[in-house]
Amino acid sequence: MSVRVTMTLNGKEVSAEVEDRTLLVSMLREKLGMTGTHVGCDTSQCGACVVHVDGRSVKSCTVLAAQCDGASVTTIEGLAKGNTLHPMQEAFRDNHGLQCGFCTPGMVMSALDLVARNPDPSEHEIREWLEGNLCRCTGYHNIVKSIKAGAQAMRGGK
Amino acid sequence: MEITGEFAIPAPRERVWEALNDPEVLRQCIPGCESIEREADNVFNAAMRAKIGPVKARFTSVVTLTNLDPPNGYTIVGEGKGGPAGFGKGSADVTLEPQGDETTLRYRAELQVGGKLAQIGSRLVAGAARKIADDFFGKFQEVVGGETPPSA
Amino acid sequence: MADTGIGAAVRRTEDLRFLTGKGRYTDDINRPGQLYAYILRSSVPHATIRSIDTAAAVAAPGVVAVYTGADMAGAGVNGLPCGWQVHSKDGEPMKEPAHPPLAVGKVRHVGDPVAVVIAESYAQAREAADAIALDLEELPAVADTRAASASGAPQLFDEVPGNLCYDWEIGDKAVNDAAFAKAAHVAKLDLVNNRLVPNAMEPRCYIGDYDPTRGEYTLYTSTQNPHVIRLLMGAFVLGIPENKLRVVGPDVGGGFGSKIYHYAEEAIVTWSAGQLGRAVKWTAERSESFMSDAHGRDHVTHVELALDADGVFLAMRVSTLANMGAYLSTFAPCVPTYLYATLLAGCYRTPTVYCNVKAVFTNTVPVDAYRGAGRPEATYLIERIVDVAADETGIDPAELRRRNFIPKDAFPYQTPVALVYDIGDYDQTLDAALAAIDYQGFEARRAEAAKRGRYRGIGISTYIEACGIAPSNVVGSLGARAGLYEAAQVRVHPTGSVSVYTGSHSHGQGHETTFAQLVSDTFGIPFESVEIVHGDTDKVLFGMGTYGSRSLAVGGTAIVKAMNKVIEKARKAAAHILEASEADVEFADGQFRVKGTDRAMSFGEVALAAYVPHKYPLDELEPGLDETAFYDPKNFTFPAGCHVAEVEIDPDTGVVTLVNFAAADDVGRVINPMIVEGQVHGGVAQGVGQALLESCVYDAQGQLVTGSYMDYCMPRADNLPPVSVSTHVTLCPHNDLGVKGCGEVGAIGSPPAVMNAVVDALSALGVKHVEMPATPQRVWQAIRDAKGAAAA
Repeated sequence: MSVRVTMTLNGKEVSAEVEDRTLLVSMLREKLGMTGTHVGCDTSQCGACVVHVDGRSVKSCTVLAAQCDGASVTTIEGLAKGNTLHPMQEAFRDNHGLQCGFCTPGMVMSALDLVARNPDPSEHEIREWLEGNLCRCTGYHNIVKSIKAGAQAMRGGK
Repeated sequence: MEITGEFAIPAPRERVWEALNDPEVLRQCIPGCESIEREADNVFNAAMRAKIGPVKARFTSVVTLTNLDPPNGYTIVGEGKGGPAGFGKGSADVTLEPQGDETTLRYRAELQVGGKLAQIGSRLVAGAARKIADDFFGKFQEVVGGETPPSA
Repeated sequence: MADTGIGAAVRRTEDLRFLTGKGRYTDDINRPGQLYAYILRSSVPHATIRSIDTAAAVAAPGVVAVYTGADMAGAGVNGLPCGWQVHSKDGEPMKEPAHPPLAVGKVRHVGDPVAVVIAESYAQAREAADAIALDLEELPAVADTRAASASGAPQLFDEVPGNLCYDWEIGDKAVNDAAFAKAAHVAKLDLVNNRLVPNAMEPRCYIGDYDPTRGEYTLYTSTQNPHVIRLLMGAFVLGIPENKLRVVGPDVGGGFGSKIYHYAEEAIVTWSAGQLGRAVKWTAERSESFMSDAHGRDHVTHVELALDADGVFLAMRVSTLANMGAYLSTFAPCVPTYLYATLLAGCYRTPTVYCNVKAVFTNTVPVDAYRGAGRPEATYLIERIVDVAADETGIDPAELRRRNFIPKDAFPYQTPVALVYDIGDYDQTLDAALAAIDYQGFEARRAEAAKRGRYRGIGISTYIEACGIAPSNVVGSLGARAGLYEAAQVRVHPTGSVSVYTGSHSHGQGHETTFAQLVSDTFGIPFESVEIVHGDTDKVLFGMGTYGSRSLAVGGTAIVKAMNKVIEKARKAAAHILEASEADVEFADGQFRVKGTDRAMSFGEVALAAYVPHKYPLDELEPGLDETAFYDPKNFTFPAGCHVAEVEIDPDTGVVTLVNFAAADDVGRVINPMIVEGQVHGGVAQGVGQALLESCVYDAQGQLVTGSYMDYCMPRADNLPPVSVSTHVTLCPHNDLGVKGCGEVGAIGSPPAVMNAVVDALSALGVKHVEMPATPQRVWQAIRDAKGAAAA
C-alpha cells in the first residue's frame, strides 16, 4: 500500500508517494535525492543515517517515512547557510574530524543533538554520547575534539 | 548447543506416549505452530512462526520420529527452513519413565542454526530454544495431564 | 607558501562536500533505467549444489532476469583471478582453485554467491530470491585454521589435498638451527592472530552500465584502485578490452584493504548490464558485507627466540598456519608470506630468521590484506616474544629492545629475510614514546592503581613495516602478477592553474589536499589553483591505486617526476623568452629567473606562453605544458616507531580499560601533519580494536556467528582514550620527497603494545600470555586460572 508523506525538509515542504513500509532514510535518499544521509548497517548500530525529526536525532533507518508525516526533518544538507558552514561543520573541518566522510553526516547530526541537550559537554560525555555512531577512520580522537570545539563555537566562544 | 529438561506429566506413560505421537497434540503444543500434517508413519510436515531476537520468520519443517521404543521414548528430529531468515535443525531424545500414575518426561536436545539466524541471532538462540522447549513441554503437560481429551 | 605548502596543516579540500552531504559515493549514483540486483547466498558453509530452480523467481513481480553460476559460465565468464602466485618450498606453485563469481557445483562458505536476481526495485529482487528453490546436499565443513590442516579434515577442493594451498619457507633452516643450539635462553610462545572484518563504513556498492550503441561498459565501484579492477575484470573475467570498459571509483567510504580486490559482484553487475542493456546496481547490506568482504589476519603461530647470556638475540624461528578462506582473494597469497615473513627481523639485529608458512583453505570468507596486511601479524609475534624473553630473563623490556636495535649508523641494513632497510633511528622513537607516556613514573601509577584494586600494566611495541609498495622487479620475482608503480599526469592550463591526474585513489586519506600542497609548493602557485583528479579510468592515464601506505611514497613521487618534467620544459621556454641560456634560468618560488638578474617570468606566464606560442621555441619544443610520469620505486619504504600502551584491569570483571596511549612514529617527511596524525589515530583505533574488542567467529559447523554490529565489537568512542601522537623524521633516501607512508603504522604498532600491557598487568599473578581480543571473559578467565594455579 502506498501513502503520501508530507514533511518539512530542511525548511521546505516536500511530499512523496511511498510504500507504507518505506523507511525514512529510503524516502530521503531515493525519493527526495537527499543522499547526504548514509546507510552503513542493517541493524541500527552505525548511526551514519542520523537526522533530526522535530529537533531530535533519530536513526532514519529505524523510522518509517509514514511516521514522519507532518514532521520537520533536518538532514546534513540543511545545516550550512549558503556557503557558510554551520559552526559544527566548521569545527569538524578545522579539527580533521572526518576522513572518508561516510559516517560524518550522522556524526554531525548526532553531535548537534548532544549540544542541544548539553551545551558544554565534557570529553567523557561526548564519548558516551557517540556510543551509537561508528567511525572506522578517525579513531574518534578528532571527532571528540571537533564536537568540543563546535559546542564552544555554538556557545559563542572562540 | 545442548539443552535438557525434565517435566512431570500427570498421566500414565501409555497415555503420554500416545500423545507424543498425535499430530493434533503436537500442533497444540508447538509454540507458533500453524499446521502439522502426517506425511508418512513417522514423518510430519509442520509450519510454525518463530521470533529469535530481531529475526522473525515462518519456518517450514520436516519432523521425523526415530529410535521408536514404545512406550519408553523416541528421538524427534526436525529441520526448519525460514527462507532468508536461515534455518534451524535439531534433535531431541525424549524418554518416559513411569512414576506411579504419573510420568517423568526427560529430553536432551541438540540444536544448530544457520544463515541469518546464526549471523544475527546466534547469541539469542540458546535462550530462545530453551523457551520454545519449555513452552512446548509445559503446554504438553497441560494438554495431556488436563481434563480435556487432547483430540477433542 | 608556508600556510598551504609542504609541512602545513592545511584543512582538507574534500571536507566541504563531505560535511554538507554533497559527497558522491557509489550508492548516491543512479543511472537512467537502472535495475537492482539481489544476490542469493549460501546459508550453509559447504554443500554440493544438486539443483537451482529459478522459475518461480523469474515469474515474480518486477523481475527482469535471474542468473546462476551455470548461466555465467555458459556465457564464457571466467573465475576471479588471483594476482600473486606463491611457490611452495618444494618449488611447486600454490594450489589455485577456480573461483567463479556465482558458485558452480559447490558452495564453500556461508555467503558464497549462488544466484543473482535482477528486478525493477531492490525489494522486488529480494523478495523474488526467496522463491528460488536451492537444493543443496550438505557436506561436512571446516572453518578453523588448525582443524583444516588436520588429517581427515573436510576437503574443500578435490584438487587440493589436505586443504593445503602452499607450504612456503624463508631463511636458512640449518643456519637457524645451529644458532638455536648455541642459545643461553630460548623464549617460546604459541599465539593466534585473530580474524578481523575490515568494516569500512560504506558498504561495497557497484553499478554496471552498458551503452549498446558504442559497445561500452561502465562500472561504478567503491574501490581503492579503478585501473586494477578494469584490468582484472576486463582482461581475466569478462573479456572486455580496456577501451570498452570504464571504471569509475567515486568518493569511497573507507577501504582498509577490503576494497582493493576484484569482487564477484563487480563482474556480476557489469556482465548483467551487458546482457540486459540496462544499468544494474548492487549495494551490500551490512550483513552481506560481513559474509562477503575479504576478512583479515587469521594466523596460528608458534615462535621461538634464541638469546645469548647478555640478552642479545641470536635467532628466531616461526611456524605459521594462515587461513586463506574458501577461495584465493586477489592478493591473499602474498599476505602471510612476502608481506609477513620478510618483516620478521623487526627493528632488531637478529642474525638469522627462519619461517615456515602453511596456507590452508577453510569454509570461510576469503582472507586478504587488511590494514597493515602481514606486517601487523609479524609485529605482533615479534613484540610479544620479545616481551616474553624480557620477562624470562629479567631484563627491562625497553632495555632489551634497545640492546638489540639495528643502530642508526648501520643503514642500509640487510636483514636475514630479504629486505634491505634503508634508514631509521629506532632509539629516537622509543625515547620519544617512553617520554610521552612517562615510563619512569609508571611503577608509581601501578602502585596507585593497586590501591584502587586495579591491575595496571604498561606495554611497549617497537615496530617496523615495509610499505610504499613496491619495486615491480622485486615483487615480480616473488610471484606478483602486476607491476606496482604509479602514474601521474600534470596538466598545466594556459592561465597557470593545474590539474593533476593521479593513479592513487583516496578513500579517506585526503589526497586532494596533500597532493595539492605538494603541487602548489613545488610550482609556487596558490593551493586553490590546483585540482587533484582521481578515480576514473577515462580521466586518469593509469594507476595501481591506494593501499600499502603507497599513495605519497609512490603516487606522490610520480607526481613529482611529472612536475619535474613540466619545470624542465618550462625552463627551456622561459630561457628562450628571457633570452638567456637554459643553464642560467633557475626556478624558485614560482618564478623562472635569470640568475643574478631581475629578469623573470612567473609560472603562469610561462604556461600562457606555452599555449599561446607566439614567442616560443617551436623548433625545439612542442606547445603546451602537460607531462606524465610513471614512477617505480627503488625499494620499499620503512616507517618505524614505538607505541606504548597503559591499561587498567578490573579483576572482578576482567574489563580492560586502555588508559593511556602514546605513539612516536617515523613516517619520513610529513606533508600535512594534521592528516598524518589522523591516519595514526585511526590505525591505532583499529589496532586497539583487534587487541581488545574485535574477533570474527565461526561456530563448529562453519556458521558465521559474528555477522552484525551486535556481535562483532567495533571500537566505539568510549573504548578509546585520547592518543598522543608525535612524528620523528628520518628522510627516506630513495624517493624525491623523503616520505615513507603513514596509513598502516597505527594498526601495526598498537596491538602488541596493548597486549604487552595486558600481560604486564597480570604478570604478577603468573599470567604469561592472553590471546586477542582480550575480552572481559578471557581476561577474567586468565585471572581465575592464574589464581587457581597459585592456590594449587
